[in-house]
Amino acid sequence: MPFTAKSGKFNASIRSLTIGIGDKAITLGGECVLPFYSFDAAIENAPKVGIEITDCGMAAEPESVQKYYEGCTSVTDMAKRAAEFDGVDFLSLRLEGGDPNGLNKSIEELIRIVKDVAAAVDLPLVVCGCKSEKKDEELLSKAAEVLNGKNALLLAAKEENYKTVGAAGLACKQVVGAESSVDINLAKQLNVLLTQSGVDPQAIAMNIGSAAAGYGFEYVISTMDRIKAAALSQGDAALQMPIITPVACEVWSVKEVIASESDIPEWGSAKERGIDMEVETATAVLFSGSDAVILKHPESVATISKLIKELV
Amino acid sequence: MYKVTFKFENGSAVETFANQGENLLEVAREANAAIDAPCSGNAACGKCRVQLVGGELEAEKTAHITDEEYEQGWRLSCVSKIVGNVEVMVPDIASAYKSRMKVADLDSAKEIEIFEKTKSDIENAGISFRNDLEVVRVTMDPPTLDDTMPDIERVTWAVEAACGVDHVKIPFTVMKNMAETLRTYNFDVQCVIRRAENKVEVLDLCAPEEDIKVCGLAVDIGTTSVAALVINMLDGTILAKASAGNGQIRYGADVINRIIESLKPGGKKKLQDALVKETLNPLIMQMCRAAKIKPKMIYRMCVAGNTTMNHLLVGVDADPIRMEPYIPTFFETDCVHAQDLGIAIFPHAKVIVAPNIGSYVGGDITAGTFASCIWNKPEMSLFIDLGTNGELVFGNEEFMMSCACSAGPAFEGGDISCGMRAMDGAIEACTIDKDTMQPHLSIIGEEGQKAVGVCGSGIIDLISELFRCGIINPKGKFIREGERIRHDKYGMGSYVLVFKEDAASVKDVEINEVDIDNFIRAKGAIFSAIRVMLSTLDFTVDMIDNVYVAGGIGSGINMENAVNIGMFPDIPIEKFHYIGNSSLSGAYTMLLSNEAEAKVTQVAHNMTYLELSNEPTYMDEFVASCFLPHTDAALFPSIIPDFVQR
Repeated sequence: MPFTAKSGKFNASIRSLTIGIGDKAITLGGECVLPFYSFDAAIENAPKVGIEITDCGMAAEPESVQKYYEGCTSVTDMAKRAAEFDGVDFLSLRLEGGDPNGLNKSIEELIRIVKDVAAAVDLPLVVCGCKSEKKDEELLSKAAEVLNGKNALLLAAKEENYKTVGAAGLACKQVVGAESSVDINLAKQLNVLLTQSGVDPQAIAMNIGSAAAGYGFEYVISTMDRIKAAALSQGDAALQMPIITPVACEVWSVKEVIASESDIPEWGSAKERGIDMEVETATAVLFSGSDAVILKHPESVATISKLIKELV
Repeated sequence: MYKVTFKFENGSAVETFANQGENLLEVAREANAAIDAPCSGNAACGKCRVQLVGGELEAEKTAHITDEEYEQGWRLSCVSKIVGNVEVMVPDIASAYKSRMKVADLDSAKEIEIFEKTKSDIENAGISFRNDLEVVRVTMDPPTLDDTMPDIERVTWAVEAACGVDHVKIPFTVMKNMAETLRTYNFDVQCVIRRAENKVEVLDLCAPEEDIKVCGLAVDIGTTSVAALVINMLDGTILAKASAGNGQIRYGADVINRIIESLKPGGKKKLQDALVKETLNPLIMQMCRAAKIKPKMIYRMCVAGNTTMNHLLVGVDADPIRMEPYIPTFFETDCVHAQDLGIAIFPHAKVIVAPNIGSYVGGDITAGTFASCIWNKPEMSLFIDLGTNGELVFGNEEFMMSCACSAGPAFEGGDISCGMRAMDGAIEACTIDKDTMQPHLSIIGEEGQKAVGVCGSGIIDLISELFRCGIINPKGKFIREGERIRHDKYGMGSYVLVFKEDAASVKDVEINEVDIDNFIRAKGAIFSAIRVMLSTLDFTVDMIDNVYVAGGIGSGINMENAVNIGMFPDIPIEKFHYIGNSSLSGAYTMLLSNEAEAKVTQVAHNMTYLELSNEPTYMDEFVASCFLPHTDAALFPSIIPDFVQR
């Protein structure tokens, strides 16, 4: 008797969500199969790869990354350069200089950078807030205003500030990122809250939280797995939003990446360690269901992008 | 050495001495100055505040004291250190734990009706309300030089003849004063006896004409409050009732904190004293006065309490209950007498302890399960005791499964800033106008009673209404604005139920986001426990035929609203029944009826204990349940229409 493989196609699917405008616009989600199960059904939109820069410019980048931005004198320059790297689908601007416990840059200063970057590149844009939920309310609201018409992604609305950030996304027609901390129920609750406050479920992307591989990472993996399972096999509409996972901000701060070669020579090249960590983490979250990842190193971007092209 | 003076609002004062650097709360505890510390002195609850009126005190600032209050001398005693002579004023709220829970149980006609119904249900289940205590009058021939039989044989023979038995046991306690008693009453006495088949034990010898009342004491020892009844053992009538806050509260609001406190040197004794000397004995005195009986006429006592309370009552080490693998010293015991515990009743009175079945499912639940009669029904029933620990029993006449979850004191009004027990001045029900956000309240007490706070049933209504009106979101955070909605400087929202001008308290009666959060966690604990227990049995909620709800939450509980907030499963409302303080009714029946006592032990043996902390899905279910009504709205199909409207 011949073997007939049973299709693992689900009746439900992940909502497709477009970020950006024009030719460069990207669409996340839309799939009705498990990650990379293209043999069960065609995957409408391959996962996307974004590159991250910050408002702090070159100074904040690790040495191995700085090389790629040689000659850049401003964040805008870096954004232009980043847009040309191989495999970049979108640009993520992290406003970490706004952190009240860090540089505590003013909102006006940060918004100016957002404006300049948006004017300089035509890639879809993701704006990530600083570490303060309170400050993000105003910061992301202002960003939403100046990015009017760009269909950017605001990353992110959290339980503490979803009302303001969600309202800003709604008013300025931007996409709202819903960030929770590695728990399927909390992720769903935030989606429900955002939806009830008037944000269209079609305009929500989830950041369910992440970690660098090896740092409690199994929680990340199982949470993503379960969210995808609930969205597809149980048709849970409140979890069918595509998932975007910022990887760069997790991996570039762990000791395996930042320890210098002179301190721990046996760990080998610092540059390779960073890229390895980023590629490993990104691969794992993609295979657990992320529809997009945000990376820092141009080589990691190229590698992950190639991986996706080979498989989808 | 410095002098420390605690002044109370009622004018009394406690003076003591302390060393440099000693913690003020500890000093207060040593000196028996009543200061409430539900969090056990971790600066978490803010209830132990005192006002500095003289001398000096070194105290950290905490979020519980505003700058303005700090200026006025308010300090948290748990973070205050002695640095010199000091005089502090203890406000009523800090010492109110003793009185703030003046209950309620069996106070209203409705509660009494529920109690009578429980009694008749138990009788219909074939349990006879008879016990083995009796009074017999015996007269003996006084001894002479020709009749030299010793007193003890004289009594034995007389009792044998009077009762028609051939074996009489006379304990040492009776023998001790026998000579004097017999001679005082000229060998004509009344004996209080316990009859068991062919044997009789003499408990007491009394005057021939004395109006002996053979009384019994039933006590429900809760973590937060204690309720007691004195009954006539011969006919079951209730002679007096009383209740009070559990004196151990100042050593921590929950059992874990109490156990930790009991580990300190002298701790076991301290906790036993707080329960026996400060709580039970005053209650007994108060009831005996009301019933016009002498405490020594209480010949038997029955206690229903959770496993930890039972251990702390009898003064045995409770620590193993807290530590894996959670093993208590005893499940059952029949060797405890009143004098062993210092309980001020007939010294040799037997103390019946309702059997425990697990480290976190104790005698209050076995007694309560018995009172609910689920062990006698073919239908599947769920018994829920809403106390500081929420306990559940599910099953029927063939099997029963039990589990416990930590709900916190929210159902009894603890952990809620305006919370109180169901007593005069408590808001027991409320509705809110969706457009104007004006509340309509029903307050316990006579016409015109002003509101003091909110009891458990009122909080359920309140949260359900706030949610229905879109004033709070499913996370319990305020999303509408209005004259009744306030935000403090940290951004925390609150809803004013009664402005202080119209309230019988010094401040507005309001509920804030922290209160709501505490309550949502409590209801989440209950609902997730129901889900996990049913799923381990492969049952679903629609297989439940009856739900029996017990606990101090009050007879005013609105089951529909309890379902609306996702505390109880979404099944037809008529399946829910409130059965009052089932632990106390269970203790009452065990006291009155030997058959009931035996049956409770049998019921306990038939119950399987499920340790929720071993269930990997419990935490997940809990987080999912901490949402109004639930993260999975499909579990609450009947309230979806409203849900979608918003």
